[in-house]
Amino acid sequence: MSTMPAVVAVHTFREAVRDRVLYNLIIFALMMIGGAILVGEISIGVQQMVIVNLGLSAISIFGIIMAIFIGVGLVHKEMEKRTLYSLLAKPIRRWEFLVGKFAGLLLTLLVNTALMTLGLTAALYYVSRTFERSEVAILVAVYFILLELALITALALFFSCFSSPLLSTLYTLGIYVAGVFALDIKGVGEYTQSPAMAAGARFVYYLLPNFHNFNVIAAAAHGETIPFTLIWHNTLYAALYVILILVAASAVFSGRNLK
Amino acid sequence: MSTHTLKITSHVRSVALAVVAVPLLFVAIAALQARIDVLSAPVTQDKEELVLRSASLLKKLSLGYDPLLADIYWTRAVQYYGTRLQNRSGSFELLAPLLNIAATLDPKLLIVYQFGGIFLSDHPPGGAGRPDLAVELVKRGITANPNEWRLYYNLGFIYYTRLKDYQKASRAFLEGSETPAAPLWMKFMAARVAENGESLETSRFIWAELYDSTKDESVRKTALEHVQELDAEIALKRLNQVSEVYWKKFGRFPTSMQELRSAGLVEGDLNDPAGYPYVMGPNGIPQLDPHSSVKIESQRKP
Repeated sequence: MSTMPAVVAVHTFREAVRDRVLYNLIIFALMMIGGAILVGEISIGVQQMVIVNLGLSAISIFGIIMAIFIGVGLVHKEMEKRTLYSLLAKPIRRWEFLVGKFAGLLLTLLVNTALMTLGLTAALYYVSRTFERSEVAILVAVYFILLELALITALALFFSCFSSPLLSTLYTLGIYVAGVFALDIKGVGEYTQSPAMAAGARFVYYLLPNFHNFNVIAAAAHGETIPFTLIWHNTLYAALYVILILVAASAVFSGRNLK
Repeated sequence: MSTHTLKITSHVRSVALAVVAVPLLFVAIAALQARIDVLSAPVTQDKEELVLRSASLLKKLSLGYDPLLADIYWTRAVQYYGTRLQNRSGSFELLAPLLNIAATLDPKLLIVYQFGGIFLSDHPPGGAGRPDLAVELVKRGITANPNEWRLYYNLGFIYYTRLKDYQKASRAFLEGSETPAAPLWMKFMAARVAENGESLETSRFIWAELYDSTKDESVRKTALEHVQELDAEIALKRLNQVSEVYWKKFGRFPTSMQELRSAGLVEGDLNDPAGYPYVMGPNGIPQLDPHSSVKIESQRKP
C-alpha cells in the first residue's frame, strides 16, 4: 500500500503547526478558566452543566472554524504557491494527495480537540473536585464532534477542488447549516401535509449530511448514557459520507487542468 | 502509452468509480440515517428548553434583524404547538414564552396575537388551556396595533368562548367596531353578546365568523367542529321540545324519530351535520348517532 497519503498528511499537520493554528487553544484555555470561575460565582447547582455546555460548544465551534477555513485552502494554497506542480510531478496520484491532505487536517483537528478536551476536564475538576462515571458521555460527545469535523473537512476539501476559497467557505458553511437543520427540513415537509413536499423534504433530509446526528452536547451535560449502537452507527455514517465525498472530490480533482 | 493518455485513463477511472460509488454510498447512508433516527431519538430529543427567555435581550442580540428573528420564533411556536398537539402530550409550557418573544421582537406581527391567542386559550389537549395568558397576549397586540379590529374580535372571542365573560366580550367587540376598518357586524355582535350571551345561536355566529375570517386550516378545522357541534346542539334542543309536545299529546315519550314524523310534528331530513340521522334515546331525549363524527360536550368521552 502506498505511503504517500501518510507523508502528505504529516506535512499538512506540520504546516498547520507552523502556521500557529493551535494558538486557538490559548483562547479556549482562557475561556475555560474564566467560565469555571465565573460560573462558580453566578450560578447555583448547574456549574458542571454550564461548563460542559460551554466547553463542548467551544470545542465544536473552534473545530468547525478550523476545519472550514483551513480545509478550503488545502488545495488552493498548494496551487497558489505552485508547490502542487512539483508535488504531482513525483510518483503520487491525485487522489493520494487529497486523502493525505484530508488526513493531515484531521490529525491537526484531533490534536487540537484532544488538548481542548484536557482543558475541559481540568475545568470540570476545578468545579466539582471529582470525576464521575457519567462524564464518559462527555468523551462520547467529543468523539461525535470529531466525526462532525471529519465530515466538514471532507466537504471543504471537495469544494476547494474546483472553487475559490471564498466560495468554498460559503458552500461548506451552507451545507453545514442545512445539515444542522436537516431534521427541521424534514419536519417542515411533514407539516405542509402535501405528499409531494413531504417526499421532497425527506429526500433532501437523506441527501444532506445530517449534522444533527452528532449533537449530543445536551445529553452529555445531563449525564445521560449514549448507547453504544448509536456510537458505531454514527461512526459508520461519518465514514461512509467521508468516503463518498472523497471519491467525488477525487473524480473532480483528477479531471482538473492544473496548467 | 503517453503521459497524456495515462492522465485521461486515470481521470476516466476516477469518474467511473464516482458514478458507481456515489449513488451506492448515498443509498447506504440513507438506510443508516433511518436507523440512526430511531437510535438517537431518546438522546437527541428536545430538552424542552428555552435558553433565552428575555425578549428584550434577544432584540438587542438580533443586531437589527428582529423582524426575521420574530418570524423564526413564531415558526418555532407553531412547530412546538403542532408537535405537542400531534403527540397529545398535553402540556404547552413553552408556548406563552415563545409567543411573547415573537410579539416583543415584532409587535406588528398580528398573526402571533390572532392564532397565538387561540392556541393558548383552547382547552387541553387542543391548546394550553390558559385563556388568562391569551387575554394578556391579545391585549398587548391591541396596545401595539390599536386600529386592528381583528384583535378586538380575538379578545372578545376569548372572553366569550373560554372565559364566559359576556360583558367583557361585548365591550371588546364594541371597541373593535369603533376602529376605522371594522365591519358592521362587530356592532351587531357586541349588542347580541350583551343581550343574550349564553345562547347557542350567538355562540354559533361567533365560531362561524372565525371560520370565515381565517385561512389557516387548523383554525378553520377547529371552528368548523364547533359550528357543527353547535348546529347539532341547536337541532337536538329543538327536537327535545318536539318530543315534549309529543308527550303532552300522546301521554308517553316517542321511541323513535319515525314516531315524531308520523305524528306530523317534524318533517324533512333529520340528520346531523356529519350526515348521520338523529336517534331517539331513553325518555324521549333525542341524541346523536354514536357513529357520528360530531360530538357535543355532554356526549364527549372524558
